[in-house]
Amino acid sequence: MPRLDDPAAESLRVEARAADARLSAACRAGNIEAYEELYRAQSSRMKSIALNLLGNAHDAEDVVQETFLKIHRGIRYFKGQSAFSTWTYRILVNCCYDMRRKKTRRMETAEQDLVADDQTFDSPAPMHDHPLRMALEKCVQQLTPYLRSVFVLYEVEGFKHAEIGLMLGISEMASKNALYQAKRKLRELLSQQAGSGQMAASQS
Amino acid sequence: MAESQKGSPQFDCSNLEQALREESPELIAALEQHATSCESCRAELNIWREISAAALTMHKEWESPALWPRIENSLQTEIARPRGWRAWFADLNLIPQMRWQIALATLVLMAASGAGAWLLLHRSTSTPVNDAHLLTDQAVQQVEQAQKTYEQSIDKLAKLAEPKLNAASTPLLKNYREKLNLLDAAISECRTNLERNQANAYLRSELLSFYQEKQQTLEQVLREE
Repeated sequence: MPRLDDPAAESLRVEARAADARLSAACRAGNIEAYEELYRAQSSRMKSIALNLLGNAHDAEDVVQETFLKIHRGIRYFKGQSAFSTWTYRILVNCCYDMRRKKTRRMETAEQDLVADDQTFDSPAPMHDHPLRMALEKCVQQLTPYLRSVFVLYEVEGFKHAEIGLMLGISEMASKNALYQAKRKLRELLSQQAGSGQMAASQS
Repeated sequence: MAESQKGSPQFDCSNLEQALREESPELIAALEQHATSCESCRAELNIWREISAAALTMHKEWESPALWPRIENSLQTEIARPRGWRAWFADLNLIPQMRWQIALATLVLMAASGAGAWLLLHRSTSTPVNDAHLLTDQAVQQVEQAQKTYEQSIDKLAKLAEPKLNAASTPLLKNYREKLNLLDAAISECRTNLERNQANAYLRSELLSFYQEKQQTLEQVLREE
């Protein structure tokens, strides 16, 4: 996913903002076609974010559906303080937090093995694979929700720190710091996994 | 890290964390140059980049043909639903003709509750001394008036019985006389106490029971042959 950091992308961004404003106005009017347009434009990224934050595709789709309902309920409060798409991703991330909290609570009451479930990652096959991918996916699930969100939004989905700041309600610098913490923790977890893998190989 | 410092005078290993944290193009360029001569920083930078490269493959796309119809249905239901207090009212699922009556009943209920609350507060502030044993001035006057009338009628009764008691010859009549003397003493003591605390309802009820006892005794004296 390309990161739109270069000045050449500025004109594209202006166009995108105009499209955002038109789309948000249509959604505010309760136009289903506008929601469909939003779905076509954002759902792939929304599903991917939700999948990486929640760990399974079924929950990810449920969260995307919930996000659209919340967009509809909250659209009258959207005053254009950020891009419409950024605002929708903010709702998505909050829905993911809620879903994860509910699941954790349910698991606690059902006395199931939370750690075991957290480490399972039921995801569709990636478009391009990387030798580290599977290990990384498991390690990402062990990060705190905050660090995981920043890592997924920046490294996986290619958002800028300024956009992440708006989505998570933090400063750009806080987003940079969180990304550094996340990567440092991932490096540590990956080293541990590599160590235990070597140990298991030597034992067998 | 000594060998690393040979590589780049502007950048040394202590700047590694800052470069990875800020990821500014200048610092990353300096780090890259420094990494050519510093093995540990090169390894660190490579791991960092490996994580970023692997992260890109975590982006997933998959077909979900049923998702948009699901969202569309839920949005249409949501859009058709009334909002705010109207939604709450609609959720009650009332017969349309009954709605205004229920609204009126709710208003009346709210007004009655408000009036009740006001009265309760007003009453509690206008009677600062909230003691069940004490009477208000007006009530004391009424009780004293009734008591005086009652005393006068008992005095009349006592005058009627006086000759009989003075000439008491039977043990029963002597007992009645003794009892009446005791009751008079108790009435006198009770009245003395009441003068100190006129609004004491308990003392007044005690005095009344003494008078009733006196009345019954006098009636028994008069009935005695």
